[in-house]
Amino acid sequence: MNTSLAWRNVWRNKMRSLLIMASMAIGLFAGIFVLALYEGMLRARVRTVIDTEVAHLQIHHPKFKDDYDPAMILPDQEQVMRSLDQLKSINHIAYRSIAQGMLATATGSAGVQINGILTEQENLVSQLDKKIRDGKGLMVNKKNAIVVGRKLADKMKLKVGSKLVLTFTDKESNITSGAFRVVGIYKTNNTPLDERNVFVNKAVLNSYLNLGEASHEVAIILHNDEDVQTVKQRLQQQLPTYAVESWKENSPETDLMVSTINQYSSIIIIIIMLALAFGIINTMLMSVLERSREIGMLTALGMNRVRVFVLILSETVLLTVVGVPLGLLSSWLVVNYLSAAGIDISSFSGAAMSGFGFSSIIYPRFPITQLPEVMLIVIGTALIASLFPSLKAIKLQPADALRQ
Amino acid sequence: MKTVIDAHTVSKTFNPNTIPVHAINNVHLHMEQGEFSALVGPSGSGKTTLLNLIGGLDKPDTGNIIIHGIDITKLSPNELIDFRLHNIGFVFQSFNLIPVLTAKENVELIMQLQNRKRADIEKRILSLFKQIGLEDKIDTRPSQLSGGQQQRVAVARALASKPQLVLADEPTANLDSKSAANLLDIMAKLNQEENITFIFSTHDVRVIERARRVITLVDGQIHSDTARVETEPQTTDLATAK
Repeated sequence: MNTSLAWRNVWRNKMRSLLIMASMAIGLFAGIFVLALYEGMLRARVRTVIDTEVAHLQIHHPKFKDDYDPAMILPDQEQVMRSLDQLKSINHIAYRSIAQGMLATATGSAGVQINGILTEQENLVSQLDKKIRDGKGLMVNKKNAIVVGRKLADKMKLKVGSKLVLTFTDKESNITSGAFRVVGIYKTNNTPLDERNVFVNKAVLNSYLNLGEASHEVAIILHNDEDVQTVKQRLQQQLPTYAVESWKENSPETDLMVSTINQYSSIIIIIIMLALAFGIINTMLMSVLERSREIGMLTALGMNRVRVFVLILSETVLLTVVGVPLGLLSSWLVVNYLSAAGIDISSFSGAAMSGFGFSSIIYPRFPITQLPEVMLIVIGTALIASLFPSLKAIKLQPADALRQ
Repeated sequence: MKTVIDAHTVSKTFNPNTIPVHAINNVHLHMEQGEFSALVGPSGSGKTTLLNLIGGLDKPDTGNIIIHGIDITKLSPNELIDFRLHNIGFVFQSFNLIPVLTAKENVELIMQLQNRKRADIEKRILSLFKQIGLEDKIDTRPSQLSGGQQQRVAVARALASKPQLVLADEPTANLDSKSAANLLDIMAKLNQEENITFIFSTHDVRVIERARRVITLVDGQIHSDTARVETEPQTTDLATAK
C-alpha cells in the first residue's frame, strides 16, 4: 500500500511532478552530456597526441632529453631493433634524429626542433603525409627538402619553394648550417607544435650532425592503447640503459589536461547535482507542507514514523525512477547522434581550441562503463535531497498538523 | 463495568513562555466501557484539546491519562503511535480521507498498518461497509462521495482497527441534518451492538440530544457532567454550552 500510495501521491500535482521529473531528466542529460563532451575532447586530444605527435612510446638515450645533445644517440640501435622485433604488440616504428636549432629567413629567425625522419616510417607513425596542406611531403631524392608547420610558415612568411637556413650544433658541438627549400607545409590541431617542429630527411640531418645511421629517438605505435604500460615495462627490462617513456611522460601537458578536465567535469557535475538537489528539496518540501494535515492524520491513526519516512522517500524514488530513464534516453539519443555528426565550434572558439591542441570539431562520446556511476550520482542526489523533506514529515506533531 | 478512561489532574497550557493559554486546567475524567458521551462547551473551552490528550495526540503538562489500564502519558512517541493504532479510532470534523485512495483503500490502510492478513482485511471491509450502508461506494474516491458519505467512510476507518474507544471531533459539523442523523444512527448502533465507547466533541444539538452523558467544558475545566437518558430534554448546563 505504501508504494501504491506514494505513486498516487506523486500524481496529485501532475504539473509539479512532471517538472521535477523533467529536472531530473535534464540533470542526468546535462551530466552525461558534459561527460560525453569532455570525453570526446580528451579522446580526440589523446588520439592526436599518440597518432600524430609523440606515439605510444619513445626510446631515447637516458640523457638525450636533458639538453638535446646530438651526441646522445641510441647507444646500440641494433639491440633496440632486436628488442622491438620480439614484441607483437608493436604496430609501427619510426627512427628519428633530432636537433635543436635556429631557422632563419630573409625576414627573421625562429627557434625550431629539426626532426630527421624516414618518410615511409613517419607516415605510418605520425601520419605526416596526411597533415600536408600545401606542397608535397618529403621525398628521398630531394636532398635539402624541408616541411614546416602552417603557424611557422605564416610567422616567417614561408611558402612552398621558399628558402631558409637551419643552424644547429653537430655531434662534436660544432655549429653547422644548411640551406633548405620548403617542399610542404603541414597543419595539425596543435598550433604550438606546428610552430616549433620542422621535418627533413633523416639522412640529410644525420650528414650535418655526423651521425651516420644513428638515431636519437624511436617512436612506437602499438596495436592497442591499453598495452602501453605493459610494453613499456617489458622494453625497459630488455633495454635497461635506455629511457623508455610513454605518451604521458612525453606529453605531460596532455596528461595534466586530462586530469584537469576530469576535475572540471566533476565540478560541473557537482553544480548540476546541487541544482537538482535543491529542486527536489523545494518540490518535496512543498509537497510535505501542503499535506502536513494529512500526514498528521496518518500519524494520528497509527502510521509510525518509519512508514511516513519511507512514504516520502518512496515518492522521490518513484519520481527518480521515471525521470532517470527519460534522461538516459534523451542523452543516449543526442550523444549518439553527435558522436557521428560532431559539434563544430570553429566559428567561436576554433583558434583557442587549436592553441591547446584540440580539434575544433568535438565528437562527444559517453563510455557505457560510466553509466552506472552517473545513475548512482543522480539517484543518490535525489535520495539525499529527499531526506530533509522526509525528516520534516516525521517531525510533524499530529495534534499540531491537525490544527492547521 | 470496565473502565476505559481514567484521567487525573490533567492540565495543558499552550505557549507557556509567551502568552500562556490554559487550554485544560486540572481536569478529572472517568469513563466506562460503552459510554456514548458528548464533550460540549463554547469555542476555546478545551474540547478538542481534551480529546487530543485522551487520544494521545498531545501530551499533558501535568496529570495522568489511563486508557484501558495503560498510562499513555508515560508512553514514548512511537509507543503512542502503536497504542493509537490498536486501541483508538478517530473521526475528524473535515473527514480527512486520503483523496488519492478509494473508500475501501482508506479503510484498508489502517488494517495494513496493523499487518493483518489479507483475508481478514477483506472480511472486515465488507462488514464495515455493510454497517455504514456504503457497499456500493466501496471503490469510489472521496471526491465522488457526499460529505455524509465521506464521514461514514471515516467512521468505518476509525472502526477498522477494532478499537474499544472512538474519539470524534465535531463529526457532524460539516453535515446536513439528514446525513448527521444517519451518521449518529450508525454510531449509536455500533455503540449498542459492539459496546464501543464513543466520545464526541461537539456544538451540535443533534449530537448532544443523542448522547447519554454530556460533559460541559468551560475555560478548560469541567463545568458540569450530566448523565441522561436519550429522550431526556436538554439541561440548563447544555444551554450554556451552546
